Amino acid sequence: MNKYLAGTLCTLALLSTGIVTGAPAAGIELPPLSEPASSETHPGKVIWADLVTPDLGKAKDFYGGLFGWSFQQAEGDKNFAVALLDGRPVAGLLQRPLAADRKHQTAWLTFIAVRDVAAAERSVKANGGKVLSAPKDYPMRGRQAVFADPDGAVFAVLASSSGDPPDMLADPGEWIWSSVLVKNPDREAGFYRALFGYEVFDQDSDDTSRHVILASDDYARAGLHSLPDGSAHRHPHWLNFVRVEDVGAAVAKAVKLGGKILVDPRLDRQGGQLAVVADPSGAPVGLMEWTDTEDESGASGAMTPGTPQVPGASPPATGTPPAGSP
Amino acid sequence: MLRLSTIALLLAGLGACAVEGGGYDGDVGVGLGVGYVGDYYEPGGYDYGGWGPGYRVGPPRCCGHGSGGRGRPAPSIPSHARSGGGHGGGGHGGGEHGGGGGHR
Repeated sequence: MNKYLAGTLCTLALLSTGIVTGAPAAGIELPPLSEPASSETHPGKVIWADLVTPDLGKAKDFYGGLFGWSFQQAEGDKNFAVALLDGRPVAGLLQRPLAADRKHQTAWLTFIAVRDVAAAERSVKANGGKVLSAPKDYPMRGRQAVFADPDGAVFAVLASSSGDPPDMLADPGEWIWSSVLVKNPDREAGFYRALFGYEVFDQDSDDTSRHVILASDDYARAGLHSLPDGSAHRHPHWLNFVRVEDVGAAVAKAVKLGGKILVDPRLDRQGGQLAVVADPSGAPVGLMEWTDTEDESGASGAMTPGTPQVPGASPPATGTPPAGSP
Repeated sequence: MLRLSTIALLLAGLGACAVEGGGYDGDVGVGLGVGYVGDYYEPGGYDYGGWGPGYRVGPPRCCGHGSGGRGRPAPSIPSHARSGGGHGGGGHGGGEHGGGGGHR
């Protein structure tokens, strides 16, 4: 079969099944991110997260018990639930079968705001990433796509049709912070800078790991960290943190609800405790305190001054503004 | 007969799609192929051992009021509370927006 014929047949097949890149995606109806709609856009900001899990019921029990989330079935798919906090949508939970081969695991998928998904796709391709799911439109939600960065960490982008949520401090039970753990921090920082237009701030480190902050709109949006020593076999990934009032109590509750401790509570840069737990299906989720006052022990920004840098980053290969740019 | 040929065309087309690429890459995730853009499971291998005392992943608490320029400290996360309670912490020079619910 020659390439042209293959392409034609492919197009015909996709047309016949309605699966065409860029076409509105039938099925799931997701709630708008901002209600009422706004004109705010915050490229580079983490604005949503989806969990793919083999047991939706267990996931609801765990996250509902841990964070006080309630759940609403999404229109068009009984296996998709929208998590709500005080009536506000905070996450999506999707039930899908998981093969028992232990080669794959459940995880939260991080959605980052862009203005133009097509431009994001071009930037990903030009800078060493991969397109895992081509852009699709969802009624009320917007246009989204799933990519892998050059190290293989999976993330999604979303151009919200109702505008991006405003920049406010997360309430307990909401996502407050995100980290991406990678093997090659220099290359990765360059990739994300090109994609989202981030400013990159190098952070002092008490260990041999590399830590940088990715910022946009003059806000820290995510941390980028080299995987700890001795973890060359570990897979790079995004990790999202939910704000809790007491990490120790939240960890105990997570265990009681069927979760496991991945990282014990520890004092961190923000001046409070954080920890990482796995939900009953194994998906990692971070827990983080954010208090009103600086911690006097010194575990705060005061000990980690940063200097805007672009470690090892080459300019965007496309020579065009990042996908988040107007 | 017509129906059989239609099915054959469809199958051939889908096969061509697989050959020509697109969709998820088995190295970085498993597309479940059920239509939603976020349908995937990540590859195994998550291991959280090795987080020593100096391995810090939290956001900075910035004392700086960003005005641009090199040498300034990293900014912090938004500090304006939804309730309007005026949380401290990440002092910030950027404009903080009010408005409806949503995320951080």
